Amino acid sequence: MWQTIIIQPMTNLLLWIYDVLGHGPHMFGLAIILFTILVKLITWPLNASQVKGAQAMQELQNDKEWQDIQKKYAKDKEKLAQEQMRIYKDRGINPFASCLPTLVQFPIIIGLYQSITRALSATPFDMLQLARTVYPFQNVENIIPLNSTFLWMDLGRPESIQMFGLAVPTLAIIVAATTWVQSKLTMPTSSNPNDQTAQMTKTMSIYMPLMLGWFALNFASGISVYFIISNLLGVVQYAATGRANWSNLFGGGKKAAVTKK
Amino acid sequence: MKTKRFLLFFLVVLGAIILSACSGQPLANNWPGLAADAKHAYISSGSFIYAVDVQNGKEVWKYPAEANNKILFYANPVLTEDGQLLIGSAGTEHPFISLDPDTGRENWTESFTGAKGAWMASPLVINETIYAPNTDGFLYILDLNGKQAADPIQLGGALWAKPSSDGTLLYVNSLDHHMHVIDPVQGVVNEVIDLGGAAPGSPAVGAGGVFVGSFASTVEFVQPNGQHEAIAKAGNWIWGTPSIDGETLYYADLDGIVYSLDLASGNQNWDAQPDGPVVASLLIVGDQIYVATESGSFFALDRDGKIVWEKTPGGKIYTSPVLSGDLILVAPYQADFALAAFDAEGKQAWTFAPEK
Repeated sequence: MWQTIIIQPMTNLLLWIYDVLGHGPHMFGLAIILFTILVKLITWPLNASQVKGAQAMQELQNDKEWQDIQKKYAKDKEKLAQEQMRIYKDRGINPFASCLPTLVQFPIIIGLYQSITRALSATPFDMLQLARTVYPFQNVENIIPLNSTFLWMDLGRPESIQMFGLAVPTLAIIVAATTWVQSKLTMPTSSNPNDQTAQMTKTMSIYMPLMLGWFALNFASGISVYFIISNLLGVVQYAATGRANWSNLFGGGKKAAVTKK
Repeated sequence: MKTKRFLLFFLVVLGAIILSACSGQPLANNWPGLAADAKHAYISSGSFIYAVDVQNGKEVWKYPAEANNKILFYANPVLTEDGQLLIGSAGTEHPFISLDPDTGRENWTESFTGAKGAWMASPLVINETIYAPNTDGFLYILDLNGKQAADPIQLGGALWAKPSSDGTLLYVNSLDHHMHVIDPVQGVVNEVIDLGGAAPGSPAVGAGGVFVGSFASTVEFVQPNGQHEAIAKAGNWIWGTPSIDGETLYYADLDGIVYSLDLASGNQNWDAQPDGPVVASLLIVGDQIYVATESGSFFALDRDGKIVWEKTPGGKIYTSPVLSGDLILVAPYQADFALAAFDAEGKQAWTFAPEK
């Protein structure tokens, strides 16, 4: 099931792009970049709904009625939950709308990792599996084995550059940095000290760069290329929709005003 | 809100676990390598190399004593005339080592660590020189003490196949679709031949040249001067080394078809499709042709392509069967045991399963 729905189409799409590009050196890296752009375009509406959902939740945190019920039912969790659900319903807010794109991202990341590993075929067994994965229309005899070189990297292995006798994981650093930048730009500002959404986003903006940086450190560098391009496109998307919170990066931004009803 | 926070945290942790599982240390996975002499069979099966007594199927030794997930062995080990067992690691660390075939102890004080890639191919030993192809695209040239005897020769593409020699020249296949004809004395590449597809198997020496199968689904005959022609076709990829017996060439493909070709006339004698795709090279002993299939079956065919007997050791068989004394050794992958021995009548002598 996972194989048929995720791995096989992804692997074939990557191979097809690689073939169209001329399957030479650096082309598999370019194929991953184009693949990432394609994924971002497909998931654009989902990401847009995430931004919208996050903003709606943010505005809710600063809403007087919302803050009132927090105080009023502070000791009655069940009633508080009921009231919260009522407000969600009244305002047409889906509290999980901002989580959906994250949910979609995980199968893509895992599938992409497995597709890259399979496409690069480090062992004869991998190559045999690849042969069974490829759709009949692909010119598989010509395109395999794939050239895993991209810039200074071997896309099938974790990346590092030798500097001053040390193996510096430059890609892992870039992955962590771009993830941090993206999360900072999307982090809402809040004047409410009890704003749980803001607290959660702040926590995630610390953990996510560390986690993705760790992935980049330990896994095939092809997945790091995906992370970096995906993060940069995320920034572009936020900037294009005018929702990027540049004040979080450069400081001096205004605090969100408390909405009164 | 707490539910949402918990959900996000859960997703992050789940993603970390799943991706960690994807990496699946050890990173590489492959079918085992196999070699044998009159006393022992040697199986390279991931973290360990096992020596098995061919008389009774009992383990004699294993190397190393403790698994190291950075060191993995999948190539067919190679025995040298001076009593060494050579193999390189296909793991994330890739030392090339020499073991004592009787004890499993390391022969060299330092293993060779000059290669950048994994060792999927077996080395070829001629006189006192080791020619070791690596996935980094270089052919390394070592002496029998593991020291570099000459500069490595850059061929390009990952090298998965053991080189062949006609006594004068070396023939090295690459996954980059090329065969390289090398003068080992001068250390130069004389000819580079485009095979039209990747060639993971070794060339077979005979008829004044070499025969090589490839993913172009053809058998190419290559002469020492580089002249070459496709002499036979198959329906699918040819993975194993073709087998030459007198005037007849045998080869098999991933469609599971075994072909017999008359070399004198160039005509096909017969083809047979026993059962399942064939990756392993065919083994010819006496009047029988032994065929191991991905379906986990092991066949003996006669010289007319008729099935003499069939056994089903189980698992999937990709490793080429080898001969040790009167026994044919088969190493299935993902089976209940790692090695099985059959006599010429198909009677199973023993099986070997490593202790867990």
